[in-house]
Amino acid sequence: MKLDGAVSLITGGSKGLGLAIAHRLRAEGARVIVADIDNVALEALPDVFDRRSLDVTQPDEAKSTVEAIAAMYGRIDVLVNNAGVIYSEPLVNLMNPDGMMHSYDRFRQCLRVNLDSVFIMTSAVVEQMVLRRTKGVVINISSISARGNEGQTAYSAAKAAVNAMTVTWSKELGRLGIRCNAVAPGFVDTPSTRAALNETIIKHIEGLTPLRRLGRAEEIAQAVVAAIANDFLNGTILDVNGGVTI
Amino acid sequence: MNDKLVTVLADVFGLRREQIVPQLTKDDVGNWDSLKQMDLVVSLEREFGVELEIADIITMTSVEKINRILKAKGVDLEA
Repeated sequence: MKLDGAVSLITGGSKGLGLAIAHRLRAEGARVIVADIDNVALEALPDVFDRRSLDVTQPDEAKSTVEAIAAMYGRIDVLVNNAGVIYSEPLVNLMNPDGMMHSYDRFRQCLRVNLDSVFIMTSAVVEQMVLRRTKGVVINISSISARGNEGQTAYSAAKAAVNAMTVTWSKELGRLGIRCNAVAPGFVDTPSTRAALNETIIKHIEGLTPLRRLGRAEEIAQAVVAAIANDFLNGTILDVNGGVTI
Repeated sequence: MNDKLVTVLADVFGLRREQIVPQLTKDDVGNWDSLKQMDLVVSLEREFGVELEIADIITMTSVEKINRILKAKGVDLEA
């Protein structure tokens, strides 16, 4: 797909990794719509982006926002499901004797933000792609944690399910000319990574990574653009992790 | 400090031996979380031949407390 002029919707695109992807898409000539729940961060974005306030866990809100975007631009070519929140909690927490076991509420909340949101947004956008006969692309931002990462029961489960949906949708939608891929970053130097992991653990991860450093958001954005541009790439989980294994 | 205990703590938390002092607490060690606590329990049980109760495991949040619990289990840390 040619990105020049492509109508591209990215969720959670007002900061961090999402913002890097939004900038890269814009640099490739795409018309970029940034949807985010963080209105303050949205306000701070430059005018080159079409900014939409959106809670991606709300199906009705997602559907009406997507319908409005499709009506305004005539189509949606690209959806990047980037919105999500890194969440770490082990199944058993020996350091918290009063609440030793993983909370079911927090498990459900993590899945709502990182998994349900991908289903909700893809449903809304693919409906428009099908109705308007757009041969579009869906890119899901997965994670190395999809392989199972200790201390991340819920987050790992959510990202593994995102990978499974990616492959499923690639098979279902390929016949309509709609492709679906995922990009699975390793450990990337973003504010959310810094908030989730302390300095000791970051040093440890750098030591485990063959390239001996965290990834850069721009490098993930580069992979997203490649996955959109290549018309024969479908159902792929593209690892971008410096060679680290967990 | 007992040499074997220093070795266990240095290995589990990735610390230098000279960093292991009785005053060291979990708040001083960036990666002393629940998963490391499990590693610590397994290492202590293997090295000292003891079985730790859940109450002991939850209490072990400093080197001084680990010392006290091992001694209560009959481990001779002066050896």
